[in-house]
Amino acid sequence: MPTFKLDGKTLPFEPGDSIIKAADRQGITIPHYCWHPGLSSPANCRMCLVEILPKAGQRPVMLDILALDASTGEYRPVQKPKLQPSCYTPATEGLEVLSDSSSHVVQARHDVQERLLLNHPVDCPICDQAGECTLQDYWLEYQKTHKRMHDEPVHKSKGVEFGPTIVYDGERCVMCTRCIRFMDEVAKDHVLDMRERGNLNEITVSPGRQLDGHYTFMTEHVCPVGALTTKDFRFKARVWFLRTAESVCQGCATGCNAHLDYDPRNNTAYRYRPRDNEKVNKYWMCDEGMLSYREAHDGRVTRAAVRGKPVTVGAALDEVRSLFANVPAESVAIVFGAGHSLEDNWALRELGMVLLGSKQAYWSGHPDGYEDAILIHRDKNSNTRGLQLLAPGARPLSALIDDVGAGRVTHVIALGGAAQVPADVLSRAKLVTVAAHAGPLTVSAAVVLPATSWAEHSGTYVNFKGLRQVSEPGLEPLGDSRAAFRVLADVAGALGYEASWKKLKQIRAQLAGNAAADAPASAVPAAPAE
Amino acid sequence: MEPLDIELEEGELELPAEPMHLNMGPSHPAMHGTVRMVLELSGETIARADVQIGYLHRGFEKMCERGTWAQVFPYVDRLNYVSPMLNNVGFALAVEKMCGIAVPERCQWYRMALGELARISDHLTCDGAMAMELGAFTPFLWFIKAREMIWDILEEETGARLTHSFGRIGGMAHPPTAGFKALCRAALPKVLQTVEEGERMLLKNRIFLDRLEGVGSISGPEAVAMGWTGPCLRATGVSYDIRKAHPYLRYDEVDFEVPVGTRGDTLDRFLVRLGEIRQSKRIIEQAVDRMADEGPVNCDDPRVVLPDKGEVYTTIEGTIQHFKLVMEGAKVPRGECYSYTEAGNGELGFYLVSDGSGTPYRVRIRPPCFQVVGGLQKLLEGRLLSDIVPTFGSLNMIGGECDH
Repeated sequence: MPTFKLDGKTLPFEPGDSIIKAADRQGITIPHYCWHPGLSSPANCRMCLVEILPKAGQRPVMLDILALDASTGEYRPVQKPKLQPSCYTPATEGLEVLSDSSSHVVQARHDVQERLLLNHPVDCPICDQAGECTLQDYWLEYQKTHKRMHDEPVHKSKGVEFGPTIVYDGERCVMCTRCIRFMDEVAKDHVLDMRERGNLNEITVSPGRQLDGHYTFMTEHVCPVGALTTKDFRFKARVWFLRTAESVCQGCATGCNAHLDYDPRNNTAYRYRPRDNEKVNKYWMCDEGMLSYREAHDGRVTRAAVRGKPVTVGAALDEVRSLFANVPAESVAIVFGAGHSLEDNWALRELGMVLLGSKQAYWSGHPDGYEDAILIHRDKNSNTRGLQLLAPGARPLSALIDDVGAGRVTHVIALGGAAQVPADVLSRAKLVTVAAHAGPLTVSAAVVLPATSWAEHSGTYVNFKGLRQVSEPGLEPLGDSRAAFRVLADVAGALGYEASWKKLKQIRAQLAGNAAADAPASAVPAAPAE
Repeated sequence: MEPLDIELEEGELELPAEPMHLNMGPSHPAMHGTVRMVLELSGETIARADVQIGYLHRGFEKMCERGTWAQVFPYVDRLNYVSPMLNNVGFALAVEKMCGIAVPERCQWYRMALGELARISDHLTCDGAMAMELGAFTPFLWFIKAREMIWDILEEETGARLTHSFGRIGGMAHPPTAGFKALCRAALPKVLQTVEEGERMLLKNRIFLDRLEGVGSISGPEAVAMGWTGPCLRATGVSYDIRKAHPYLRYDEVDFEVPVGTRGDTLDRFLVRLGEIRQSKRIIEQAVDRMADEGPVNCDDPRVVLPDKGEVYTTIEGTIQHFKLVMEGAKVPRGECYSYTEAGNGELGFYLVSDGSGTPYRVRIRPPCFQVVGGLQKLLEGRLLSDIVPTFGSLNMIGGECDH
């Protein structure tokens, strides 16, 4: 691999890398506003300027400038090297670059930062970005000086609604154009641009348009300052009170990696942020996914219920026992939930197929929906592929509805409330639903047992490409809910069996390796021949 | 009067007694600082004394790992709460050592003056309380009256009489008030006059002297071996004072002496403290004379010092600086340091570890009276029960700093 030198340190780079990218790969950050690893380089913020030493025998490019002589108070002509933007300058073999070690670079960063703050409003106390703002971080790292200009700053538009989700504040904007480039390059929608020049420069929406579509939240995410804010998160929380869990988005089968930001003091989730993963979502998430953090609270099943009436979990388990007394194994069916984790579904498979001896497996989940070529997948369930690994013979819910209608199935244990087809018929069967979210299967159920959502327990999800991803919990369980595999162990206990699983670790050991995850041939029957 | 001269075997006077166990403290009024002693008495003689500390343990060191570096100051106030200013200054110096910053000269003199005021108040309290516990109530009231004069000055300067929280990383919370020098110059002679009056009452009192002289004595090498510092060590004749041995602030530029004792007994400890009050007065007078009336008190390092409020409210740079320091805390460079100063009871050390974030990774304190109380058992065994009160009182155990 070719190498170049940064501050005297030899770094490898891949041909085509810019200096900043090559340094970034090695974990060295050159300060920047406009550069983003997932976008093109416009080199307009000038924060990433570096000094490039001339090759042997070449003359350095010098600029004539005037420098203030502090001792005399007068300007005198001096020379300084011409600095280069490291986001735009490709790394080449043997290139010698000075970053932190060059006094010119240090001075340039200070000056760029001072210019960016020249007209910046005193907004930190009311700005949602405060606490995670690059302007704040870089002031302390690279500027550390106070304001020298005491004229009235330039005022620009504030609180401009760019669309249904995004609000723009022109005064806070540093004109890095990341939002414009994101819409152009990733969302493929040239809806944003800039107008005017110099200190009147502003981001603007194309005439007759608004900033809409499926990727508007990402403009806020790439904004290094508080210029773009989402209506969803605006004025809701201060980021220093939030803690973060490494989550996996449950919105569709893509399985985008996300940070779930929540406040532990009130056990409330406040937002999703994309978590970089080159293999899945790169740096991005869609709007529906970004808003899906709300599912941690919305539509949740938090209390047990028997025929719609809230009861204690103990009373519900008693009801399960009496419903399932003396039922022949062939009339019992299980319904895997495509929105529940691999571990939960594994526990259901153990309960239904091994302990109860059921031979009829089905699966349910959200119906298909919108898809695009960027991130959004047609399948709106997070773990459909996991079910295919776990129970390849499981049939869709419509088959169960036929079987219940025909009386072949009388007792059902289901995981998850979602259903791809209307499920009213299922109320004819004795349906026990263990679910985190309400849906057709909880409505039709005789007994509902509350389970925790993905935000409250650790779980493995297999995305449509077959990638297994673990989502870590942030919130404490809501209400009476507990992890579904624990609830299923209790159901097993209520039915007189001893569950072989008690801890997540035990299930994970069983699931370790694809061979174990794939269903044993005997456990799941192949779909009956039509 | 001639002593009654009866020839008796010594044993015949001692009453035969089973060893008796006696719990002294933690609520016993003479066990100030909240300590418990489990005594094994043979008659009136202490056969064994088991000193049990920890009744004022608040998890101070762990608490410091929660907030920012600046938020440690209120905690150190409550270490040796009889001289909080010395703790404030000691901790500020420790953090400044890690950051590699030095405060302006004016601040150094100010810190010295305030610190020595605190030292006087510490010694007045210790000596006064000890005398009171032996029944000498009047000198106690006089000493406390003198302490009030000190506290009035501290209140004028800091707004608080006891827990000032006045130290800051890189300076102090406020510059000296306009009247600070005048207040010191007016109060110190009165303080000393009161001290001398009390001293005359006590040191000419046969009973008081008899109860102190030769009681609870310890040799210099023994005290050094146990890690003793401060007045208790100096009472044994070892002239070790950090202000002289390892000068900090501007102690190398002022003229003062280190009073030492000869026998290391309770009386010596009492006298060393009285001597130090006089030396502190000298230091304060010199510090006040040399402290400039104008000039910055805080250093101008934006990493640690809060900006002027006017800047905060009107400029983004000031707002950001304020925000970063308050919300995230001063980023003390990654590393560790041990910094030590002469506090009221001796060497107050802070061993700090920073992981480079705004929150301390570890704040370890070396409280001077921890080691001193460690030697208490040795001082008491073989002595009479009544010797506990003066001996313990002269060590000046402060639970706030001892229990950590």
